[in-house]
Amino acid sequence: MLFKEDEIARAEANAIRTNVGWYRWTHDLVKMTGTDAERFLDWIMVNKIAGLAIGRGKYTTMLDENGGIIDDLMVIHKEEDVWWLSTLYGPHMVKWFDTHAEGFDIAYEDITQEIDMYAVQGPNSAATMNELIADAVDGLKRFQMIETDINGIAVSIDRGGFTGELGYEIYCAREDSAAVADAIAAAAAKYDASCLKTLEVYVRSLPMEKGMALRQDYRGLTPFEANLGWSVHMDKDFFGKEALEALQAEGPKHAFVGLEIERESYEDIAQNEIIRKRGVPVGICRQMIYGYTVDKNIGFGIVDARKVPIGTRVTIGPNDSPAVIVEPKWC
Amino acid sequence: MALLEHVDTHRGVETAFGKIIPEKEAYSYCLRTIAGFSANIFQVMRILNDDWEDRTSQICEIANMMNCAACSGSEEELFDYLNAFYDEWNIPELVKRAAWIGAIWGDYGDEAEDMAGRVIQFTEDRVEKELDTCPWDIVGSEMCNMTTAMFTANFDIAAGGEHGEITNDVALNMCEARGCGNPHCRVVAERRDTFGLEQQGWLDHRGAAHLPVHDTPPERRVKHAQGLRNGQYTNAFGEENSLEWQYNWVAQMGWVWSISFPLIAIRDMAEDDDEFERILRIVFATAGKNSFIDPFAREGLRNWLDIPREIGDNDPRVMGVYIQAMLGCQLVPYEFEAFDADGVEIRVDQETFTGRFEMAPLDEITIGYEAQWNGACHALVSPEWSVWIDEDDDDFIITVGRKVDDRAL
Repeated sequence: MLFKEDEIARAEANAIRTNVGWYRWTHDLVKMTGTDAERFLDWIMVNKIAGLAIGRGKYTTMLDENGGIIDDLMVIHKEEDVWWLSTLYGPHMVKWFDTHAEGFDIAYEDITQEIDMYAVQGPNSAATMNELIADAVDGLKRFQMIETDINGIAVSIDRGGFTGELGYEIYCAREDSAAVADAIAAAAAKYDASCLKTLEVYVRSLPMEKGMALRQDYRGLTPFEANLGWSVHMDKDFFGKEALEALQAEGPKHAFVGLEIERESYEDIAQNEIIRKRGVPVGICRQMIYGYTVDKNIGFGIVDARKVPIGTRVTIGPNDSPAVIVEPKWC
Repeated sequence: MALLEHVDTHRGVETAFGKIIPEKEAYSYCLRTIAGFSANIFQVMRILNDDWEDRTSQICEIANMMNCAACSGSEEELFDYLNAFYDEWNIPELVKRAAWIGAIWGDYGDEAEDMAGRVIQFTEDRVEKELDTCPWDIVGSEMCNMTTAMFTANFDIAAGGEHGEITNDVALNMCEARGCGNPHCRVVAERRDTFGLEQQGWLDHRGAAHLPVHDTPPERRVKHAQGLRNGQYTNAFGEENSLEWQYNWVAQMGWVWSISFPLIAIRDMAEDDDEFERILRIVFATAGKNSFIDPFAREGLRNWLDIPREIGDNDPRVMGVYIQAMLGCQLVPYEFEAFDADGVEIRVDQETFTGRFEMAPLDEITIGYEAQWNGACHALVSPEWSVWIDEDDDDFIITVGRKVDDRAL
């Protein structure tokens, strides 16, 4: 939980918004190779993966046979016929591929234990990175990855992150992780920036303020219900498309919304707490957190799309905390 | 019918009189009865050992050791054990697992046990957990200390710099404990290297936290854990456990940590097994009698179980349906052999009756409940009726029948 009085968490959040901060950000990583890898990924993901240039990445969701989201991830075209899939659910992804890979000339493995990852985020992240690596990052486009080095240690760097700020992610071999962390710390120190230690600041608070959610928030929704319709290419074939089309024809059942509670804090609101409108259950809370940039207790919720428009006053949880439904983005 | 076998159709425990105890109520009752058994066991301990510090240290050491047993295998086995846990709970790589695993472990256990509350803080250096309720709050102060030894093990299993070494990387304090009269239970783990804290002994875990704590105001406290209020537990990483999963888990594990672990030390406090079992019977018999001393307790039971007025007070079925409700809520399969005015006979499988957690059967369950139910029967029904448990091949027969015993307890 985060509270408005937490000055350490506030300082960490403020560092990312106004200066720069860094932290270990290791995701599960699945490596896919093979001549059919591009074709398979283009079919199993809703976004258009075919034609993605080497050194570029793309955000996408992956659906089940019911058209519901089972993962959201970054697909990175690493080399010719080599792809990295950055997710928080590597073991689940491998199992899913196991049941759908027949007929494709592909190989895949969870390489999470081989690769560590760090994030450098904030307005001064580019300057920090330029202190750190051999090649300047100034011209790097969003989701573009380059191969470079830090003090002679081979690293892959992409422009991206999960804070809504300018930022970069550094991939390195596990055995080089400590040396890379030391180098980042030294470069960041020049901007008076230290390593963030409050998980909820960089996993939930900063992203949520910018409208960025996790798979656990979206799970089971269609990409359209999750406000991710922009990533769906209905002009291509993909797994779950038929079900998704049918659901689209029926119209959205759920809406992914923002929540603002009016009490000082949210100790009685866990994930999946029931949202009530005039005492009647109309949805569930996904996560509450304190946002230090907007200075509010904010959250995500999934509600009945027909009954709970933006602006609806609701209550959440066992003590009926008053709240209002808002757009799921605060800054 | 037992809930375990009919959960999909019944969603509750059906008694011999047709009363359905709803699933959530049955779950709560199950927890409280396990806690009640634990409270009796701790009374046995207090009789056997009158030195608070000594007995508390002994159960702490055992609880810590048993919780650490997970890392007693090879390094590879520990790695596999932890990885399976990470996968099951979707704990991603970005989490510094060594720092947080203890808190994640503790949180899902607390929630399954309806120790309702919240993780207040969850950082690399510090974890603070606050509970508003605890069904085990009747057991007493030694239990509160013992749980800190278990939590220490949870942190040590994954946090140790060296495999197999108990490194105590965190200072762990139960700053408040409901079992000692505080409004909350509050456990704070703080990294010793970060805050410059000393290594703790078994009796040093009830101190204050190094950093200030967050006290949730009464209006935002909760009465039940997520499972009972929302139908499932969801951890910080979005992984869910259903109410049914939690119920089945706690109906096994509640017996292990709160009874089986301390019993290892408590049995050793007695001169021999006979001495231990003599005191065990006395304590449980007294507890049973006192359950129904108050006239409203008997009426309350009749009301709770919808016992028809045609069934008089001096009828063995009153006791029989009480035992049935307890077995059903504790997810113990059973079968009636007799249920009439002449007596009640309930057949249970020995292994499932004593082995709530299959790997650690507890003979003390049979001895304890025989004494407790017999004592309760004398107060609830009348001294004309007794409860005893006989062996029948692989089964036990729990009987409520007439018995004259010139040396009755």
